[in-house]
Amino acid sequence: MVMKRFRVIFVAVVAAWTMSTLVRAQGAPDPAAAFFDDSILHEIRFTINTKDWTSLKVHYLENTYYPADLRWNDVVVRNIGIRSRGTGSRSGVKPGLRVDFDRYTTGQRFLGLKSFIVRNNTQDATGLRERVSMNFFRHMGVPALREAHAKLYVNNEYAGLFTIVESPDKDYLQKNFGENGGHLYEYHFDNAAVAAGAAPFVFQYLGSDPALYVPVLFKPETREDDPQGEVIAQFVQAINDTNAASWRTSMAAYLDLAKFIRYLAMENFLGEEDGHTGDYGPNNFYIYRFLNTNRFQFIPWDKSNTFWENANYSVFRNLEDGPVEKRNRLVLRALQEPDLRQLYLNTLLECANSAAEGATATQPGWLEAEIGRVYEQIRPAALEDLLIFSNEQFETGIADVKAFARGRSDAVRLQVAAHQ
Amino acid sequence: MRMLAAALLVLLAVPLRARGAEPAQPKSAAGASTDSTVSANERGAQAKPPKTKKPKKAKKPKGDVPAPDEPVNPDEPDETGGKGARATWKQHPSLRFGSVFRLDFEAKFQEDGRATYEGATGLESWELHRNRVGIQGHLFKKIEYEVERELTEKELTEKELSAGQAPKSPWKDVNVNLTFIKNAQVQLGRFKVPFGLDTLTGVTHNDFIYRSLGANYLTPSRDIGGMVHGRFFQHGLNYSVGVFRHDGDNARSRKIQGGDETFAARLTGTPLRRINPRAFTNLELGSAYTLSSLSDDSFRPNGLRGRTLLTQDTFFEPVYVKGHRSRWEGDADWTFGSGSARAEYTVVLDSRLQQGLANNDLKDARARAWYVSGSWAVTGEKKKRPLKPNNDFLQGGIGAVEVVARIERLWFDSLGSGEAYRSTRAEFVLPEGEKAFTIGVNWTLNRFVKLQINGIREDVDRDRNPALPEMFPPAAFWNKVIRLQFVL
Repeated sequence: MVMKRFRVIFVAVVAAWTMSTLVRAQGAPDPAAAFFDDSILHEIRFTINTKDWTSLKVHYLENTYYPADLRWNDVVVRNIGIRSRGTGSRSGVKPGLRVDFDRYTTGQRFLGLKSFIVRNNTQDATGLRERVSMNFFRHMGVPALREAHAKLYVNNEYAGLFTIVESPDKDYLQKNFGENGGHLYEYHFDNAAVAAGAAPFVFQYLGSDPALYVPVLFKPETREDDPQGEVIAQFVQAINDTNAASWRTSMAAYLDLAKFIRYLAMENFLGEEDGHTGDYGPNNFYIYRFLNTNRFQFIPWDKSNTFWENANYSVFRNLEDGPVEKRNRLVLRALQEPDLRQLYLNTLLECANSAAEGATATQPGWLEAEIGRVYEQIRPAALEDLLIFSNEQFETGIADVKAFARGRSDAVRLQVAAHQ
Repeated sequence: MRMLAAALLVLLAVPLRARGAEPAQPKSAAGASTDSTVSANERGAQAKPPKTKKPKKAKKPKGDVPAPDEPVNPDEPDETGGKGARATWKQHPSLRFGSVFRLDFEAKFQEDGRATYEGATGLESWELHRNRVGIQGHLFKKIEYEVERELTEKELTEKELSAGQAPKSPWKDVNVNLTFIKNAQVQLGRFKVPFGLDTLTGVTHNDFIYRSLGANYLTPSRDIGGMVHGRFFQHGLNYSVGVFRHDGDNARSRKIQGGDETFAARLTGTPLRRINPRAFTNLELGSAYTLSSLSDDSFRPNGLRGRTLLTQDTFFEPVYVKGHRSRWEGDADWTFGSGSARAEYTVVLDSRLQQGLANNDLKDARARAWYVSGSWAVTGEKKKRPLKPNNDFLQGGIGAVEVVARIERLWFDSLGSGEAYRSTRAEFVLPEGEKAFTIGVNWTLNRFVKLQINGIREDVDRDRNPALPEMFPPAAFWNKVIRLQFVL
């Protein structure tokens, strides 16, 4: 009798273990998938004390948190924390927000999320450059952050059209890299110093002192109590290693150069004016160092300055031209390697093909179609939001972005051909 | 620091008698110095002043020689004798003109050595904690005055001032006390709001290096105002009633605006002084109440905050408040022979009108604190504040040695019950607090110099949220503090 009961229990345990393993292997459903479903225009409602909302807008340059309740569809999350966020995009008229669910309640989550970003797009009249760019990265196989547009209501008053952006946090790392125990850093571009005439950080070696890099340039987002800035110092030192023979070997310990070059090519295909080879020096990225290794991975961030100027925007801008002190030394050094340079050109062509995917004489390619899809979705809400841009600026911006996308593939192919 | 060390050496080296510190200067209980309370025991221990016009100049026991930090009673005969203008140094260095004018110079220095948990920020191992100088005296015996200033108060930077941070005043007690009617004296200026036994006990009289948590964070302390106070039945009943501009220094900080327009009343008495057993003769009971207005003009939360004793880590962030702040405290102060015991309970209620997320009214935020403490002079002195040695160090004795202990708690929450959050506008505030236990030794070398050693165990009861980036102390830790005090 006892043996029979033991067998039953044993079989039940084995069955349960097998089932859970199968579920894990298939990938558990992501509860936040519906929140970032970009096929619909979302609606987010905050209830916040009116004095706090006024204060947040008046003190928009500060990172003070204010309590609020969040409603999305039928889901209500109470006592969340929101604060003003952004660098150049900070606004007291239309504040960008960081939403933290566990600021006031330990362990509180919303659809499994600890936080998310409400981007105000104050530097982009179209409001869609960021989202379309991230979609393009994902289309090219890069694990970019998920985004969707949302109408924001504060105390039942329309506060404008925003983009909701997945936070680059531990959940994101686990989902995209299969681990989250390493070191995640947000790159901090010192606007004030550069505006005052200081040279930007372009991956030049500043010295071995970790404090020269962390947290002034690389702000720890995980493992803050053990930031290990010395590894970043070693990484930068390796970038600047002048020994041509050993450069690839020493860099291999820190970076998958091929992956980085592909990422760079995608960014430049999109005409990113404020990215790795931007006009102001390298900017707008996170960097993740995998657990128990010195290997880094770049993560794209804030692509509101893509589709810059026109379709002929040079994919060699600030590589072959521009002020020397603003050129990214990592990129310059990597592109001295023939195979990496060829990879850069090949990836640009791959981007051109991908962007033009599905194009016919009467149908736009993938990229322009994507812009059109997002435009149709957000247009009524954008026209209602006159806080930063007029309707004319919005429509003109959309026309420019579409024109960029329409002509970009051919323009890049021509630029690549000229450099083969 | 050098000055303090030099002064200490001089005091230890020079016999007190050589400096003519003989005659007693019985103190006043009129409350001219609001930096100290005078317990029933202390009053009982004082020799009643002789009523003759020419007091006897015979030397009194050394124990009756007043310490520099004992209050002065202008009604006491001037034992320095003489008429006209003169300079004397009995209790303090003093300038006098007959019996119509008196100006005493006084100073208080406290140097602290401190150690706490590893990784604590902003805590220097050695600190000149207090460096106060002042004057006090009277005019025509009916107008008492006092001016005291802290010389080491840290000034704010321009950046801090431009950010709207209010500097803490370096001025401590700046006031006059009119004693034309003994039972209804009028005090005007800057002095302590009459609330809290521990707070009203002078800084050099305290049995512990640091006041209790409740005294530090819930009582008002000093403010500018006016007060009527007096006593009846030979101190059997004392009262103080006043109005003040704000609700005291303790409620304000660089980030917290604090309350305004405060009404305060305090009543103390010795109800058991005439009954047997006589052990309870000196049991003094007290209670106080304050009512302040609270605005939400500042964009920052204006509630009270909870901090640790030594490191002043914030374990309870202030919540948004508006309306009124009411404080109540009850206290007991008992001295018996060489021992003493004290207990105090304080509760503060802050209304939160229109402070909800939907601008709705919330239930009051609440802060509570209590402590129980005791002391015992192992060298046999009769308990007073300040404690004076029967035999000074190097003058035939070792000074007075006293052992002390205190247990206390401070905690914050809100009225009502429901799902609690840490949020500054939570309907129900998540309870958070701290317990502390202090043991110590006080060694009073002579009436000028005191050495205090305290071990303080702090136990922080807080929901530890990994999302909060602020540095924070461990859940429980020891502080070790040594203080050298010099009064003049």
